[in-house]
Amino acid sequence: MTSIHRRSILRGTGALAAVGLSAPSVLAQAGKPHAGTTINAACFQTTYFDYLRAYFPEFEEKTGIKVNFTMQAFPVYNQRTDLELSTRGSALDVINVTFIYSGRWIGAGWLTNLDTFTKDAKLTPAAWAPEDFLGGPQSAMRNAKGETFGYAWLAGAMIQSAARYDLIEKAGLSMPKTFDELLKVCDAIHGKEGVAAFTADRLHHWNWIPYLMGMGGGVFKAPPENLTPTLTTPEAAKAADFYANLLVKYGPDGILSYSDDQAMRSQMAGRANIRTQDAVWMVPLFKHAESTVQKTVRYGLMPAGPSGNYPGSNSHALGIPAGSKKKEAAWEFIKWAVSKEIITRVVREHAYPGIARLSVIQSPEFKQVLTLNGQDVAALYLEVLQLGGKTGYMKYRTVPVFPQVGDKINKAIERIATKQQGAADAMKQAQAEAIQDLQKAGIKIDT
Amino acid sequence: MSTRTRTNRFLLQALAVTLAVLALAPFLWLLVMSFKTNAEIFRFPPRLFFEATLDNYAHLWTSEFRRSFSNSLIVATATTFLSLLVGVPAAYALSRWTAPGGNAITLWILASRMAPPIAFTIPYFLVYRHLELLDTLAGLVVIYLTFNLSLVIWMMRPFYDQLPRSLEEAAWIDGATMWQGFYRIILPLSGPGLAATAILCFLFAWNDFFFALILTRTEAMTAPVAVVNFMNYEGWEWGRIAAGGTMIMLPVLVFSFIVRKYLVHGLTGGALKG
Amino acid sequence: MRRQHRFFVWCVAPSLAVLALITLLPSLYLLVTSFTQLNLTRPETQWDFSQPFESYRQILADSRLHHSLWVQAKLSFWTVLLQVLIGLLLALLLNMRSGLIEALRTVFLIPMVLPPIVVAIIWKVIYTPDISPMHGIFRAIGWNVPALITDPNWALTAIIIADTWEWFPFTMLMVLAALQMMPQEILDAAKVDGATPLQLTFYITLPFLQGVLLVAGLFRLIDSIKAFPLIFILTDGGPGNVTEVTNYYSYLQAFNFSFLGFSSAITIALLAASVALSWLIVRVVGWGVRVD
Repeated sequence: MTSIHRRSILRGTGALAAVGLSAPSVLAQAGKPHAGTTINAACFQTTYFDYLRAYFPEFEEKTGIKVNFTMQAFPVYNQRTDLELSTRGSALDVINVTFIYSGRWIGAGWLTNLDTFTKDAKLTPAAWAPEDFLGGPQSAMRNAKGETFGYAWLAGAMIQSAARYDLIEKAGLSMPKTFDELLKVCDAIHGKEGVAAFTADRLHHWNWIPYLMGMGGGVFKAPPENLTPTLTTPEAAKAADFYANLLVKYGPDGILSYSDDQAMRSQMAGRANIRTQDAVWMVPLFKHAESTVQKTVRYGLMPAGPSGNYPGSNSHALGIPAGSKKKEAAWEFIKWAVSKEIITRVVREHAYPGIARLSVIQSPEFKQVLTLNGQDVAALYLEVLQLGGKTGYMKYRTVPVFPQVGDKINKAIERIATKQQGAADAMKQAQAEAIQDLQKAGIKIDT
Repeated sequence: MSTRTRTNRFLLQALAVTLAVLALAPFLWLLVMSFKTNAEIFRFPPRLFFEATLDNYAHLWTSEFRRSFSNSLIVATATTFLSLLVGVPAAYALSRWTAPGGNAITLWILASRMAPPIAFTIPYFLVYRHLELLDTLAGLVVIYLTFNLSLVIWMMRPFYDQLPRSLEEAAWIDGATMWQGFYRIILPLSGPGLAATAILCFLFAWNDFFFALILTRTEAMTAPVAVVNFMNYEGWEWGRIAAGGTMIMLPVLVFSFIVRKYLVHGLTGGALKG
Repeated sequence: MRRQHRFFVWCVAPSLAVLALITLLPSLYLLVTSFTQLNLTRPETQWDFSQPFESYRQILADSRLHHSLWVQAKLSFWTVLLQVLIGLLLALLLNMRSGLIEALRTVFLIPMVLPPIVVAIIWKVIYTPDISPMHGIFRAIGWNVPALITDPNWALTAIIIADTWEWFPFTMLMVLAALQMMPQEILDAAKVDGATPLQLTFYITLPFLQGVLLVAGLFRLIDSIKAFPLIFILTDGGPGNVTEVTNYYSYLQAFNFSFLGFSSAITIALLAASVALSWLIVRVVGWGVRVD
């Protein structure tokens, strides 16, 4: 499909919505085949489904399917869902296919091949357009044969935000563009007006990696083929030291236990200034009613290191567990939750940036609502997505064993940040533990 | 009593009261917090008099939390009933009769009560996958028997030890069968013991967190797991977290007060009588 | 007599059968699993006994596991010690006849009867600087105290404090029960001989309580191996691995990473330890030995 064609589809959003709705409504008149069904859906804590929840009654009205949606903190969600999938149980009907688990879950055969639904015209109208989803984010949701196991609701892209940019300006500085500048800015603003210079959540194996790569390091030797961990390089030690230092020297008290939400709240409450994370956690600083920093927040690209700029990008998708007994009802929900209409609405009402449908991204509305404090955040966001797609530096994240290795990284950063170990020692231990786990999982390691 | 001893006594009592207040402070803090708005929670120093709100409770009661609350209730009641049904006759028999290998049985019963929960969780988890008992109330009831059945046996046996044998022997002489002797004479006499044991069984099942964490997902989720999920999700809604905690602990406090005399007994397997 | 015998067998049999089914069989299953490398992402590992002792070999080589044993030892030592001490002192204090004191005894029980998860939530509140009254007080008097549960020097102490708070009533209650069984004549005789209250405590009461303190300590020791909710809620084993006890590590291996075979091997060791300690209790108490 050409983009012109897309745009023409998009221009007629209103009409499209009518078409999109009328197709299922034919079915609905045929008795809403899934009326009375209750499906269980789950995701980690995220703004997208916070917003979506408000629309659930419409979905229930339209299909007669009741949605029981639970959200948990990121690590908790992953652990519980992994456990559930491993039993091939039927407790969940719709799940979030977490980026770092996508390789593991798809590889183990724990998810349902969604092609059977998209290829069936009775189940999916052509207007739903599965090919409208961006190739980059979708690539993590496919297996080697090209079958699709999830449709992305989030194409995440890491950017930088300064909740109190006024403090940076007051110090005569601007948005940091390099790691060195970041340190300089943090030094200049830390503690001013009681605001900590930096904040982060505790998912170090996501937040830290751009710093690792920016300094020239990497997690594995050559993912996905060679998964020998490379955590003992001098670059890794340097990056770990740098990042741990950011956390303890410039972070608010208790930063090491922050969840995503808590880190966001620390910025919204004006207790902390700079954060480098996925844009979806940054936009609420401007949009959220409880934010106290709406007027002072500014955004920028992730700072670059001596070896380049590697802002993280990822995707999260909705999928159906292999053990679900209500797959068709589950598909109804997925179809609805990432339909053009719903995505457009979430963008319009909440300036939600992390979407994965090209037609919506290219719409003028997207650019318009994501202009925050005069800044074109949409452009920033797209730039990061392109960076990630170009060189494939995100491949390390979707290998099946990343969750185990990521855990070792988290622990190592914690040990450094809490001064239990020097960076070199901590990374050495992480490397040894990672190798042990990889071998337990039957992975070949270079010696 | 001399003045000195009286002063001493007064001082000791004052000390005891102070310590009690100190020991209870963390608990009271949570209780009070559940009636506060978020703004009030973040205020320091806290105000002694604040406008109490029931919003936290109202919010919980309209959410999914209510279902997990009733799950907890059903599971705890069912497992209590089953443990008593199976365990009470055994306790009676073990009190009246020296079973062959009695010591081994004793150790077995105590050990199954003391075993780390993960030792049962792994095999149950693996087997439940195939029996489709994961995320079901029945699955929880069964695994709660692992600790409650032992509890019934060791709680009840000392009660029967205290009842003289002549009671049922008299009934036998009057022509009652052994079963009737137990059922008509002994069982009614052990009423208080039964009540205490039932309450303890209920509490242990109600309090469980680990088994439910691993073996339930959505449908059979119990209240303790639900409140933790809630905490993971709404990390800053402390008022609601406190309200959830309070709702879980209230039945426990009431029941515990009733059986406080038997607590030692229940927790130590009759090693000591309270 | 045969009739009696048969009746009793019928009373006991269902219990033993159910217990065997729900405890012995699973333990056996656990043991068998520990001889495999079971990992649910690789179904072929389910009944693969080609390397039966691989998990046990890994146990010997796993430094994180060894560290967790050390953490466990520290946690057990301090919690048992503190709980026995505090429980003993409180029991001695509360061992007087007065309506007020009797009421207080009940009040002191509250921490112990609370659901463990609620105890964990209570301490989470106290250890979260933003809302903690404790941190509020520290700030007010100008102390700069770090968030205890994310500070490696304090995290384990924080857990120990919370666990001690939860379980000191247990030892207190056991000691109180024992004190009430103390023969009054000995005390009276000693008083007549002019013993001071302190002497009474040291030479008569404490020796009398030896046994109960040992049993209480053993019970707490076994329970300390099972520590879970506090660690799960407060620190998640962190920061780093500072509060990662063996039980918690085993849980992570089994249910976070799906290394069920390996975790079973660790758990077998834990199970053996708690059975051994239970045996010790049975020996000390002499429970189950029939004295007719």
